[in-house]
Amino acid sequence: MAATRRTADRAEQAPTDGTGRLLIGAVRHSAGRTAAAFGCSAGSAAVAIALPAVLGHTLDLLLDDAAGARRAVALCAILIVAEVVFDASEALLGGIITARTAAWLRRLGIDHVLSLAPHRAAERCTPGDLVTRLTGNVAEASTAPVTAANGVATLFVPLGGLIALALIDIRLFAVFLAGLPLLAWLLRAFVRDTSDSVTRYQRVQADIAGRLVEALGGARTIAAAGSSARELERILAPLPELGNQGRRMWHVYGRAMAGAGILVPLLTTAVLAVGGVRLTHGDLTVGELLAASRYAVLAAGLGAVVGQINALVRSRAAGRRTAELLAVPSMRSGTDPLPVDGPGRLELRGVTVVRDGTPVLRDVDLIVPGGTTTAVVGHSGAGKSTLAAVAGRLTDVDAGTVLLDGVPLARIAPERLRREVGYAFERPALFGDTIAGAIAFGPYACSPGEIEIAAEAAGADGFIRLLPKGYAAPLDTAPLSGGELQRLGLARAFAHAGRLLVLDDATSSLDSVTELRVGRALVRDVRAGTRLLIAHRASSAARADRVVWLEDGRVRALGTHEVLWEDPGYRAVFADPGEVPGAREDPGYRAAFADPDETADGSAAGAAPDSVGEAR
Amino acid sequence: MKAGRSRVPVLARRFLARRRWVLVRLAGWSLLESTQTFLGGYGVAMALDRGFLAGHTGIGLVWLAVAAVAIVLGGSATGGTFRGLADLVEPLRDGLVRRVAAGALVEAIDAPARAADGAVVSRLTNQSEIARDSFAGLVLVTRSFVFTALGALFGLAALAPELLVVVVPPLVLGLGLFLATLAPMAARQRAFLDADEALSARLGMVATGLRDVLAGGAHDSVAARTHALIDAEARAARSLARWAGARAIALGVAGQLPVLLLLVTAPWLLDRGLTAGALLGALTYLTQALLPALHTLMHALGAAGTRLLVVLDRLTAGPTVTPAAARRVAGSTGASGGPPRVRLHRVTFAYGPSAAPVLRDLDLSVEPGEHLVVVGPSGIGKSTLTAIVAGVLAPDRGEVYVDGRPVRPVGGDPSRLRVLIPQQAYVFTGSVRENLHYLCPDGASTSALTASADAVGLLPLIDRLGGLDAPVDPASLSQGERQLIALGRAHLSPAPLVLLDEATCHLDPVAERRAEQAFAQRPGTLIVVAHRISSARRADRVLVLDGVHAVCGTHHELLERSSLYRDLVGDWHAERI
Repeated sequence: MAATRRTADRAEQAPTDGTGRLLIGAVRHSAGRTAAAFGCSAGSAAVAIALPAVLGHTLDLLLDDAAGARRAVALCAILIVAEVVFDASEALLGGIITARTAAWLRRLGIDHVLSLAPHRAAERCTPGDLVTRLTGNVAEASTAPVTAANGVATLFVPLGGLIALALIDIRLFAVFLAGLPLLAWLLRAFVRDTSDSVTRYQRVQADIAGRLVEALGGARTIAAAGSSARELERILAPLPELGNQGRRMWHVYGRAMAGAGILVPLLTTAVLAVGGVRLTHGDLTVGELLAASRYAVLAAGLGAVVGQINALVRSRAAGRRTAELLAVPSMRSGTDPLPVDGPGRLELRGVTVVRDGTPVLRDVDLIVPGGTTTAVVGHSGAGKSTLAAVAGRLTDVDAGTVLLDGVPLARIAPERLRREVGYAFERPALFGDTIAGAIAFGPYACSPGEIEIAAEAAGADGFIRLLPKGYAAPLDTAPLSGGELQRLGLARAFAHAGRLLVLDDATSSLDSVTELRVGRALVRDVRAGTRLLIAHRASSAARADRVVWLEDGRVRALGTHEVLWEDPGYRAVFADPGEVPGAREDPGYRAAFADPDETADGSAAGAAPDSVGEAR
Repeated sequence: MKAGRSRVPVLARRFLARRRWVLVRLAGWSLLESTQTFLGGYGVAMALDRGFLAGHTGIGLVWLAVAAVAIVLGGSATGGTFRGLADLVEPLRDGLVRRVAAGALVEAIDAPARAADGAVVSRLTNQSEIARDSFAGLVLVTRSFVFTALGALFGLAALAPELLVVVVPPLVLGLGLFLATLAPMAARQRAFLDADEALSARLGMVATGLRDVLAGGAHDSVAARTHALIDAEARAARSLARWAGARAIALGVAGQLPVLLLLVTAPWLLDRGLTAGALLGALTYLTQALLPALHTLMHALGAAGTRLLVVLDRLTAGPTVTPAAARRVAGSTGASGGPPRVRLHRVTFAYGPSAAPVLRDLDLSVEPGEHLVVVGPSGIGKSTLTAIVAGVLAPDRGEVYVDGRPVRPVGGDPSRLRVLIPQQAYVFTGSVRENLHYLCPDGASTSALTASADAVGLLPLIDRLGGLDAPVDPASLSQGERQLIALGRAHLSPAPLVLLDEATCHLDPVAERRAEQAFAQRPGTLIVVAHRISSARRADRVLVLDGVHAVCGTHHELLERSSLYRDLVGDWHAERI
């Protein structure tokens, strides 16, 4: 619930610093309607309490054939119609308020999520969790205003019933109070061992789901082996056990229902019995007896109050999950322009980034001259991806400054920054209805021609044309492999290329041939500018003008690939992590731990001994 | 789902018809429960008329005691009701789970690239559970309303038949109104669920792509589209709320109007000899039995009913599929002895009618016992080629022969003829032995098993797992370890033709070489799709696919004839060729 100063700065006047304030904000958003809903609910409650008494009185008048009977019936009619109207309005208003509240919370939520640095959102929750917070949790939280408005009535009706029962005859009241705990105890005896069967049921269910997912992952193997019938048998093997557990659940539930089903009727019958005795003595009229039995039922509704409170508690808990999301501080955006026609010179000054208390970049100073290609290499965990994120302000730095053409990134207006800095990722998330739309996605729309040129450069044009409908193929049903996805991500970045392009391991799933082609096209066909590429293969590093070698969050060395290759530690970067660099002289080591293409690429650079010729 | 009418009504009728006796049993128990309703009003009327109003307190109490006994009896009948309910609901869930699993499996086999997503798990667990719960709720509530109404109407008739004249018309009118709201409400509910699902999908996309949205500077357009979906969902919810209001009015007509009419007509009824007790009994039926039953009926039918329909529609969309069991044509399909020749004649294949062909007029002949390696850029059709040779895909044009016979239709157990190991190695939860036997229709001895495992370099992993009969948890294995198991499985199989489709891509080069050599030494014809160019060096012949031409030859021939092959090899090994 701690509101940070950044959140407080935000233009939106949303209460982001607590569940209570968030829900109050939600009520305020629909203040008039919520008040009306409360009015309806209170009116409905008042009618519900008054009606049995009026009904009983009318019955007495009718039985006596007394003078006021007509007027009494008319009053009953008014009350009954009023109750129906109140109930209908309550249902209508309730639905509308809940819908409005949910929409308000969701807009607030998604706007906030979009203002976060991605890593902050990821630290707080997984994507699936985030969706749950904005769908299911918001749906539950947004019932709070209506539950609160109705809750008052839910409390008043049973209390009113109890009081009315006492007013009619204190003995009836006493019978009711005495019977309540007795019968509640009886009910408890019925309800035992419920949760156990549910847990077992869910375990069997998860088992079946696990078997199915496993088999789906092996679809190609199963298709080739023609073993689908056998597989289905294996997946469904636990189904009988699921049925057994399911039957146990119904059995337990049935016993609970049976208990609940007799509780109120027995209580009412007890009240009627005592009332009947009083009637014989002339202390009670038939109408009063009718009213008393009805009030006993209303009073028994006291149990529903618990349910209502439960619902409020659940709403609040759900609201807290939304509020937590809103409490994550968002990124502040600048307003400065960039110098026109800047070369794309990137400069890091004393940059430190800390994640989970551990520095992942430590005091990094780096200058990437405009128009050059710089590769960033290092063992996994060296801070390569963080450096890539920092270069285009996908994350803010904890200390130091990052400048593009002399302007600190944090001060550049976001729309300018995003036009000039492009990214391609190892696993791009694609947006858009079609393949073409996915490539066009960005700060501005591209023409079909630009899209095709970019796709061609990214080596994607070929497979796109093989898809049914080609560029117009719907994105969600196009069967894309990891490598194809990467190439679409590359095409998207190429289509919007500005003065700085960051490729964060964006060619890792491409085979050697395609990677080579894309590497060449990047230099030849994509708008000239500065390129920063995070590389795992020696071949990529060899093509760059300069290589930044990161180790433990620091720049260990800076230079050309040829020069750095002399250093065994540098060569070890391209081998399996954790290998002993001294083993490099052993040809077996080379063959085992370096991709042949990479090793040979190194040899092309003139430093590696011959080693991979043994395959013949 | 949009195309064609829903199959639910037909399937539902068939489902219920097959369970006629369950329904009869359920009705029997429900009837026993409904005596509680009947005596609830009748007992009160009698207690009043014969007992309390006549001055016989004892008789009044006896009648109430009878009603109380009926209540307890009704409560115990509930147990039977729930047994009947379970007999109705559990088979439904079984059927749905079976259908979802079979459908997902067949779909995945048809289009492996799109397989294994969370939607299937949701259908298998969440959605089948929603169907189970909603169906149970529906049965419970409908049954409870029908038998409560029966009990109450019989009670009213027993008290005084004239009461029916007063009560039935508004009840029927209200129910009619309610039924009239059902169809539009179901449509609104469905629209709401669709809007909700679209919103969830969109939010999921945004949540996984936050980094891409930020990097792409597409904040505004993404926010705008998401807001539009949020608003659409809210509009659908409001529309639903309006019909909830209409439903409340129907409830008022069905439940409250009879009470009012009873009061209005009371003087007339009393004139015709209706007793005070009977009037009280009638009011008891209306307020204590019918009104609550109506209330739950209307709320449950509106929400649960539609939810059930939507979910069932979704789960039963598409044809009922059962994976075809391997046709038992034993003997006829085994290879004729030695390694088979593979021959492709003018094979053309495209993914979809408007897509450019991946393979065009491909001719290829692989000699018995030959080791062929296929190379080329990704997406060029190498996997397609192996799938066609295996008979998993049918070419659009051209013929494929293995051992002189057409590969399609695949008859008998295909594992006797050929095995295809794809890049995604399939390992299932079970013992190591079960996993290795997967492609052995006749089983295999432990010594053969160990020999194959040794040949492909699987023994250290088996030792680590705890032996052949140790359980395997696929999730705890690395991709490379899974590939080793799949390779061991292929090596062990009796098939004389082995197709490895980048089946070694997650192995390190040394392990890859060992595995490929094991297959080269295994008797039979071998076709390998190479992930690394180094695989080509181990082949008898190499097939180079570049999207336009297919060139086949030995390593040295190809260096002469294929510029792409020269590129592939030359780029990395120039100084050694």
